[in-house]
Amino acid sequence: MISITNNRLSLQEIMFELEDNSAGALSIFIGNVRNQGRSGNVSEIYYEAYSEMAEEKMREIENEAQTKWGIKKLVAIHRIGNLKVGETSIIIGVSSEHRHEAFEACKYIINNVKTRVPIWKKEISEESQKWASGILLE
Amino acid sequence: MRSDIPGNDKIKVRLFAILREMVGESEITITVPADITVNHLNSEILKKYPQLKSFSNKFVTSVNCKVTTGDTIITSKDEIALLPPVSGG
Repeated sequence: MISITNNRLSLQEIMFELEDNSAGALSIFIGNVRNQGRSGNVSEIYYEAYSEMAEEKMREIENEAQTKWGIKKLVAIHRIGNLKVGETSIIIGVSSEHRHEAFEACKYIINNVKTRVPIWKKEISEESQKWASGILLE
Repeated sequence: MRSDIPGNDKIKVRLFAILREMVGESEITITVPADITVNHLNSEILKKYPQLKSFSNKFVTSVNCKVTTGDTIITSKDEIALLPPVSGG
């Protein structure tokens, strides 16, 4: 399941999506908003996405992970909008037969989501608002 | 330039993040000759919105959700977007 959403992310629902009796391993990455950014203190982050393209790119990354590691199920959900410190912005979940594939696929997917998917974040504090510097898409 | 002149296209361009804020709109319309390239469109955008000039090497252009090269030919049926450096996750 691939999704860009305005809704709060639910780990319980994601665990349900990943259930597979042939999978002995389940790896999950959770990204949270932290109180420090490149420009100093952060109280919240505004996330914006080109949702149609973002979901297409995330499916492309999913297919690559599938080809490399033969994973059983995958969930990648990115939340957009205003998120406060401590809230979850992204969850990647992978189930596979054994732990190696789950770990590797999960790492591959989050690393590629951060560099290949059109999503932007603006760090907000009481003093300032600043778009995070990032990576130009290729 | 009038949009109803035969051979002209009205191209809609979506803007995101800092580019959207610089222009104050999430979508702009640019009237250009038919069958122009991405490079030509971008130069027309920078003429109309000079506040984007300092970002001219800090965005890429997507056509129908694919990042393209400057010589790609576009039409009014294509979905065009200007994408600044990404920072998701």
